Amino acid sequence: MINVLTRYLTLFVLTLLVLAALSFSLAYLFPGDVLTNLTGLTPQNDMQREALARQYKLDQPYVVQFYHYLGQLLSGNWGHSFISGLPLREEIGIAMPATIELATYAMLIALIVGVPVGYYAGMRSYTPIDHTINSVSLFSYSFPVFWLALLFILVFSLELGIAPLSGRVSLLFDIPDATGFILLDILLAEDIDKGLALSDALHHMALPTLAIAIITTAAMIRMTRRSVIDVLGRPYITAARSRGLSRWQIFSRHIVRNALLPILPLMAIQITTLITNAMIVETLFSWPGIGNWLIQAIYQRDYPALRVGMLAVSTLVITLTILVDLFNRLIDPSREKYERATV
Amino acid sequence: MPQFSLYEEEYHPSPLKRTWIEFRNSHIAVVGLVVLAGLLLFSLFAPFLAPYDPLAQNIDGLLIPPSWTVNGSISHLFGTDALGRDVFSRIIYGCRVTLGSSILLVLLAMLIGVTIGTVAGVMQGVRSSVINHLLDALMAIPTLLIAIIIVAIVGTGLVNSMWAITLALIPQFIHHTRSFVRAEMKKEYILASRLDGATNRQLFFNSILPNMIEMLVVQGTLALSIAVIDISALGFLNLGAQPPLPELGAILADGLDVAYLAPWNVALPGLTIFVMVLAINIVGDGLRSALRKRLVR
Repeated sequence: MINVLTRYLTLFVLTLLVLAALSFSLAYLFPGDVLTNLTGLTPQNDMQREALARQYKLDQPYVVQFYHYLGQLLSGNWGHSFISGLPLREEIGIAMPATIELATYAMLIALIVGVPVGYYAGMRSYTPIDHTINSVSLFSYSFPVFWLALLFILVFSLELGIAPLSGRVSLLFDIPDATGFILLDILLAEDIDKGLALSDALHHMALPTLAIAIITTAAMIRMTRRSVIDVLGRPYITAARSRGLSRWQIFSRHIVRNALLPILPLMAIQITTLITNAMIVETLFSWPGIGNWLIQAIYQRDYPALRVGMLAVSTLVITLTILVDLFNRLIDPSREKYERATV
Repeated sequence: MPQFSLYEEEYHPSPLKRTWIEFRNSHIAVVGLVVLAGLLLFSLFAPFLAPYDPLAQNIDGLLIPPSWTVNGSISHLFGTDALGRDVFSRIIYGCRVTLGSSILLVLLAMLIGVTIGTVAGVMQGVRSSVINHLLDALMAIPTLLIAIIIVAIVGTGLVNSMWAITLALIPQFIHHTRSFVRAEMKKEYILASRLDGATNRQLFFNSILPNMIEMLVVQGTLALSIAVIDISALGFLNLGAQPPLPELGAILADGLDVAYLAPWNVALPGLTIFVMVLAINIVGDGLRSALRKRLVR
């Protein structure tokens, strides 16, 4: 147990170091001035430039610079945005929770809908109903997320007018930014009609969440179904059947938990897809998340923002992935390290 | 095939043939294959099949609706866009750009991934463990992020977005090759060849690679569907192919400006991407289940 924990901790720290090094080297790789890319500040004259360069240890070897950069990252001094001039830490602190919120709800829908449907299809494998579920999930799995979101906008927002086009919540509500998660913020806020605000926020959230959730749910159904069918073919199921256990007993005692095991590592892979899809959908719904923020940054060539934004997003994704992997390893130590099921 | 067997001769099809027989049994998979073949034909022979030049603008025919609507004309099957370009021709060329570049980049990613994966699979000890784990973790970085960084360093363009997606796909191939090679190296036929004095290189090319091809084809179709979606997503976000180039995602983004006036400019290119991805997924799915059934029987 401790062994495994140390291994994963080492892996985590190593990966973060690699990412930090990558982000540091981006300051040199991006076009333009290294000092500006690193700090987001444009020095007015030579004296100021020298002072800044000394402050950021740019006159010293790369290793010292990198060490200093790490210190700056850890102390929360991430530089300033080129365009808005605000500290990047604040901007990311606002944008990141919005993305996490969107992705979390989509993942929840996928888990709540996808896993039971997958179990059902797996238990009824190779019957007409299983084929139907399988085809529908293959169908929705193939949607390009941006097109799906566009169709939603065209149908629900423009034609039917039942869902708002963009944003997180109507501007009429003055909701202070406490946690960054809109639903929590509304609950924490004072002096507003919480019921109205919540329903408004949910209306805003429905379309983007659904667009992401449909694809993730389809993947979830397929993974669960496959895993259940694999488990059904195992000898211990035959043994249970020969002992005279009923279908339901076999399902609840032997299949549920064993089928979940191979799904977990696949979920780790799904996290990447989920965050990517969330980032793309954000740009369409003007959702103020990290994806929208990064895309705006690239359109405006805001290099300091890109440098830190890349680090922030990849840290988030990798932390989640490693956590899921670790969890998987802890609950199932018998598993080969590299074994992974298929979609 | 003879009607009856005169001699009690057993028929032993080769593994490849058996896979094909299993694959053929699934009608949906065959339909998917036909659609995919059609799209491939479109991409290969785009200049002969497209009725118009995909870039030629026609001021006299702006936003003509598709031919099946009341105001449509048969001379423009899918109508025209805001600059009077023929949507059908643009989509045919779009298949060429999107599917063609996806296939290219998947092949490239496969080549690099298999090479590194083999080395990693043969390697042992702490060094290999560190590399493997690091690769696993770095595999989690989203394509979009890699693409944004590459675009920031070298600028937008179809080729740059292809590099980004190639980079993002390589780790999957490394991962699968590594576990495959690792599993095969423990088997007895490898030991037999090794006792015969085969070098590592010979082992790989003569023993492991032929067994790996099926896995590579299956992984390749998976990667291809991801590549098509990613390339069109980047084109759509204006980070990949740039507007005059008929790339399906870029065509879709172009149509966005007139989405309300001329919804077919958004619906048709998107539908094409969807059909392309669906066909690839169906073929991949059919291949996987055919392989599975073959191994079971």
